[in-house]
Amino acid sequence: MAEDFNTDSMLDMYLFENGQLLEQLQETVLEQKDADCFDEDSINEIFRTMHTIKGSSGIMMFDNITAVSHKLEDIFFYLRESHPDNVPHVELVEHVLEVEDFISNEMEKIRNGDPVDGDASNIIANLDKFLEMIKNGGAAGKVAAENVHEEPKHFYIAPVATSASRFYKIFISFFPETEMANVHAYKTVYALKEIAEDIMYSPEDILTDEKSGETIIKEGFRILLQAQCTEQEVRDLIGVGYDIEKVEVYECDANQFLLGFDFGDQAPAPQIDLESSVETIEEKQEEKQKEGAQEKKEEKPKIVPGDFVIQSKEPGKQKKLAKDKPKGEKASFISVNVSKMDQLMDLIGELVISESVVLQSSDLKVPGLNLDNFNKAAAQLASISTDLQNVIMSMRMVPLTNTFQKMNRIVFDVSRKLGKDIEFVMVGETTEVDKNIIEHISDPLMHLVRNAVDHGIETNEERVDSGKVEKGKVTLSARTEAGKVWISVEDNGKGLDRDKILAKARKQGILDDGKPDGAYTDKEVYQFITLPGFSTNEQVTEYSGRGVGMDVVVQNIQAIGGALEIESTPGHGSTMSLKIPLTLAIIDGIVMEVGSSSFVMETGVIKQFIRVKEDMMVHEPNGDEFVMIRGDCFPVIRLGKWYGLEEYRESVEDGVMLILEVEDRKICLLVDKLVGEQEIVVKPIPSYIKKVKGLSGCTQLGDGSIALILDAPGLVE
Amino acid sequence: MDETNRLLGMQEETNSGSDSRDTQKGKYMTFKSGPEYFGLEIQYVQQIIQFQSITKIPETEDYIKGLINLRGRIIPVVDVRLRFKQGACEYNDKTCILVIHVKDTIVGLVVEQIAEVVEIKEENILPPPSIGRADKAHHKYVYGIGKVGNTVKLLLDPEKLLYDDDSSDLESSKLKEE
Repeated sequence: MAEDFNTDSMLDMYLFENGQLLEQLQETVLEQKDADCFDEDSINEIFRTMHTIKGSSGIMMFDNITAVSHKLEDIFFYLRESHPDNVPHVELVEHVLEVEDFISNEMEKIRNGDPVDGDASNIIANLDKFLEMIKNGGAAGKVAAENVHEEPKHFYIAPVATSASRFYKIFISFFPETEMANVHAYKTVYALKEIAEDIMYSPEDILTDEKSGETIIKEGFRILLQAQCTEQEVRDLIGVGYDIEKVEVYECDANQFLLGFDFGDQAPAPQIDLESSVETIEEKQEEKQKEGAQEKKEEKPKIVPGDFVIQSKEPGKQKKLAKDKPKGEKASFISVNVSKMDQLMDLIGELVISESVVLQSSDLKVPGLNLDNFNKAAAQLASISTDLQNVIMSMRMVPLTNTFQKMNRIVFDVSRKLGKDIEFVMVGETTEVDKNIIEHISDPLMHLVRNAVDHGIETNEERVDSGKVEKGKVTLSARTEAGKVWISVEDNGKGLDRDKILAKARKQGILDDGKPDGAYTDKEVYQFITLPGFSTNEQVTEYSGRGVGMDVVVQNIQAIGGALEIESTPGHGSTMSLKIPLTLAIIDGIVMEVGSSSFVMETGVIKQFIRVKEDMMVHEPNGDEFVMIRGDCFPVIRLGKWYGLEEYRESVEDGVMLILEVEDRKICLLVDKLVGEQEIVVKPIPSYIKKVKGLSGCTQLGDGSIALILDAPGLVE
Repeated sequence: MDETNRLLGMQEETNSGSDSRDTQKGKYMTFKSGPEYFGLEIQYVQQIIQFQSITKIPETEDYIKGLINLRGRIIPVVDVRLRFKQGACEYNDKTCILVIHVKDTIVGLVVEQIAEVVEIKEENILPPPSIGRADKAHHKYVYGIGKVGNTVKLLLDPEKLLYDDDSSDLESSKLKEE
């Protein structure tokens, strides 16, 4: 590797790519955890993943990761080559997950800049033992590769062209902003080597010359591949990452293949030595290239072997080539910095405001103007800016797939530890939610899933006794409804025990002594389990039962404006549903005015608007005020007085009362007048200003002015 | 006023990256507040905008006037006169908001009148006089006195300007907490 490489960006790339690989790996493994063994595709995939991680970790010199992935690769190499029969599948799954955990852990350390010091010897010993076991127990018909260091040779199998071999010309173009395209290109070559009988690529010096990265970006990266696989398989191997813009794969016959990188050009091409190994060919190519480069300088028209290297330095020709070929149709992705997206969103918000300033300009109010054309154009503009807003919002949306996948893992781990047999079903995991929200729901969701597995589902024996199928079932589902996302964790276990909860609640003194048990609705009773320190589980397990948790879940969910709903049928299981907003950035709010200031209150907490008469007010000697509304007495906050504003309306009869309800506490808020309901974009109050009680943020209104967002829980306190 | 308009056109040019740091060195944006002229190193100045209406925030220090909407970005605004305890003054068409960027914080300063950008060489900057009228609160935000011709500009330390609580403020906030 050239020393000039910026190791930071290389590290970023390493973390990003291996992170994705590991996620993919976990998904594959968990998909097949219930099968009897891995199918051939997954074995290959796990093998390849480990191989790639091993390779890149080797380059980055993370020895422990290299060692662990190397060992797992061994096992899968054995599985792949020898097809042993009686492999203990679950054990294997655990081993793979163990390795995955280890590597993730180490990568986290790398990300935080900590030393990569995880001790892999234990895992390696286990893996060794496991490998030994399957070797002895499995069908030992074929000789397994004892030493892995031999194994790369399998990739470089002497390139003998058989009738089954097919030939491909591959043209890959990278996004111009890709850093170190040569390393990406090498990665592709690396992946292809696994299937290749013969492979050549141009520019050739991708590992030693970092300038080749620029060449690749400018002119694309070309590969000649001889392999026994379909075009689709080749495409799959190359994949379309965030870096690859376009992949073109053309099948050709052996003769064209021999012509080299000319892609149909009639020029004589380098001879491909089918007898020697790729290494030797590559060596020869290098020599030829040097020769070629020299000769080229001396005598231009003469075409020499290895001319593809030279050709790659004639950008004009290449560009034409790329244009002539049909474009790949795969969807492509780029990763964008979130701060840029935020900036874009701000700008669009601004655009919308300036739009309304222009469209409502007082200059247009001059009588006698003919504004027909203006109005048409204005309507067009308005529809475009609405579209723009929708697009930017959709860009921030991320599917829940990853979060759900994590839960799959938790169910697997916990159910194994507890010896329960559990089927995990995911529904609607592609539901999209704002990225911010995903970050906030991961932990609560994990808790609910654990609870479902630990408390919800009975032990296998209990299930048989109560006449249920032995296998428990946990369903994780997501759906969008009325602008909210519902995420439910459903189990078909024993359900919540109402009597037990009530008894516990009475013991803890939560219940009103005068009220009989029967007076509490199921919903009320179930809500008790969300109180701090409340757990009906007699035994504390590793996973749950300490009584911390449900209250934290509820807190976290409320922090993002969501709610937890609990349903349960004794004997048939329970359902915990999280109701969360689609996005944090936009809330429905009521805009109101006090004096000359505008305020916004989230619509959800407002129960009622009411005008009150002076005689409904109750004044306490200490200045506290209450209002009697239909026999109920609510404390009153006058917003104007509370914040010491100027020119607010003194008399309650001139203003409007808002009845707010937060966690069963109700208060009345007096404001001057209501302006309207609208969707507002929440922005934080700049940190320079000290936190003001009762304010949670600010927003800009349609006319560009700023309104302060009231925080109902803060006011209630 | 012409000067103001020209400076308004300056927009974010002054903050356009590190290459211009050298050319910005020794240049000061000066403005008038009360009877005196103050200078602020130009690298902190992001933009000058015309005075616009400010949304008040309750329960904050009196010199924090509130929030303004700067191209979709909501920033706090500090009244320099009140910060210096020079007493409030009416805002008129000469009043400007000087948007400064200090350590990731963007704050608008309401100033009576923008003067000009001047270059002050280091040898013309003197430490502030230690003997002075103690009631002049602004002296602790001043780290030097720059001589330009036969006038002087009081050079401000922007961090102190934004963050230094004066003792009376501290006491009053303590009282509030109690």
